[in-house]
Amino acid sequence: MSIAQVISLINQMEADGVVARYAIGGAVGATFYLEPLATLDVDIFVAFHHQVGQVVVSPRPIFDYLTARGGVVEGEYIVLAGWPVQFLPATSPLVEEALAEAVTVDVEGTPARVFTAEHLAAIALQTGRAKDHARLLQFIEAAAINAERFQTLVRRHGLLDRWQTFERRFLQGPS
Amino acid sequence: MTFDLQRIFESKCALRRSLAQRPVAEKLLLLDVLRDRALAIRAAAKRQAATMGRESRSEHRAKPRNA
Repeated sequence: MSIAQVISLINQMEADGVVARYAIGGAVGATFYLEPLATLDVDIFVAFHHQVGQVVVSPRPIFDYLTARGGVVEGEYIVLAGWPVQFLPATSPLVEEALAEAVTVDVEGTPARVFTAEHLAAIALQTGRAKDHARLLQFIEAAAINAERFQTLVRRHGLLDRWQTFERRFLQGPS
Repeated sequence: MTFDLQRIFESKCALRRSLAQRPVAEKLLLLDVLRDRALAIRAAAKRQAATMGRESRSEHRAKPRNA
């Protein structure tokens, strides 16, 4: 049971054309840049092949493909190699861009596509839960993001207000 | 070993930095271990909560009249 097995399976699924592109996000994605972050699930963002006339995107082909290869559906998750995996469509321009610009990292001979550190940080800022703020702080404290690229994303995706609030709350000392 | 908070914080930062710099494959293996631990702790906490619930229910149970 390992994440490496999950990544191999997702690579194969992409190669077989079930999804157009995938990238790892969430805590597992952040672990590519930071210290390992304890998590119970794997977030995989996916782009689908565009089909004429199709309005609603369904995760069904993914679930069918993976259950045929030993995956077990549990609610919104599919359990692969012991890990609950959640497949998420790109629902915002920021996530679409993150998916398009994701980078491939070699994991002992297995390619793994993962969001850039700056996109992971910007998505954390956009999502805005307590754990996302904690993750964004980790990226900043570890100097794991390029500040200029991150600020460009913040401005381009209308996150300036959120960033200023975050800065006031977490990065500036009490006045 | 020290109780100097400043040094404790510095050593925590150093540990996080050294973990972050490990090869990705090694960090992914650590995720597997962390998840196994988290699940074990969660299961133990559930068992403990269930045991405590049973004990507190039996404490408040009315005794039979002829006991």
